[in-house]
Amino acid sequence: MKLSELITKDCAKAAVLFTSKKRVLEYLSELAQQQIEGINQHDILDALLAREKLGSTGIGKGVALPHGRLIGIEKPIVMLLTNQEPIDYDAIDNRPVDIFVGLIVPDGEHQAHLQTLAAIADKLRDKDYCRRLRQAQTDEALFEVLDN
Amino acid sequence: MKIENTFLIKNKLGLHARAATVLAQLAMQFDASIMLHQDDKCAEGDSVLALMLLESSQGKEVRVVCEGPDAQKALDAIGELIADRFHETE
Repeated sequence: MKLSELITKDCAKAAVLFTSKKRVLEYLSELAQQQIEGINQHDILDALLAREKLGSTGIGKGVALPHGRLIGIEKPIVMLLTNQEPIDYDAIDNRPVDIFVGLIVPDGEHQAHLQTLAAIADKLRDKDYCRRLRQAQTDEALFEVLDN
Repeated sequence: MKIENTFLIKNKLGLHARAATVLAQLAMQFDASIMLHQDDKCAEGDSVLALMLLESSQGKEVRVVCEGPDAQKALDAIGELIADRFHETE
């Protein structure tokens, strides 16, 4: 599975300037809302916040995977943000985070969800790949890096 | 000391992000190298990204291999966590 097939062009945002976890989650819910008709932004934000309450999605090495399950959508929405400066995200290794892969997934599709996560993990595992993501300064440049 | 055991993934959601995170956080506590194997894939126990790559779903068997001073403690704790469905209710 290619990341450019999961993440549409308008869902890749480079070098954004957020200063808190809450603002990042708000922005992701805003982006996701633009992708799906008839879904309330607050419901998306609530899903993301509820998930963070169970434990931070900051999985270490400066990467976070904020995600939530939503009833009423058919396919996952995947978003990629890189922040100018790493911010505190209560990550499991206590390191600040500057790469955010946001995921809004249909409720129930467990196997498909695992495959989506694996496709993302496969890329983010590569240090060099993460470095290229961080270096991209425009949305276009970030999108170009996705599959490379 | 190098030891291993095979465990059945019982929780409904499998090794999704939260389960992988809980497992990695546990694995980090031990002075041992921990590898998980499933089919032809393997992952370091302390890497959330690597664990998610296994795509372990409910009903899959994972082989856990631990090596180092804390190998036995690590293997026991991981076995317990998987058996307890990563503390999930289903």
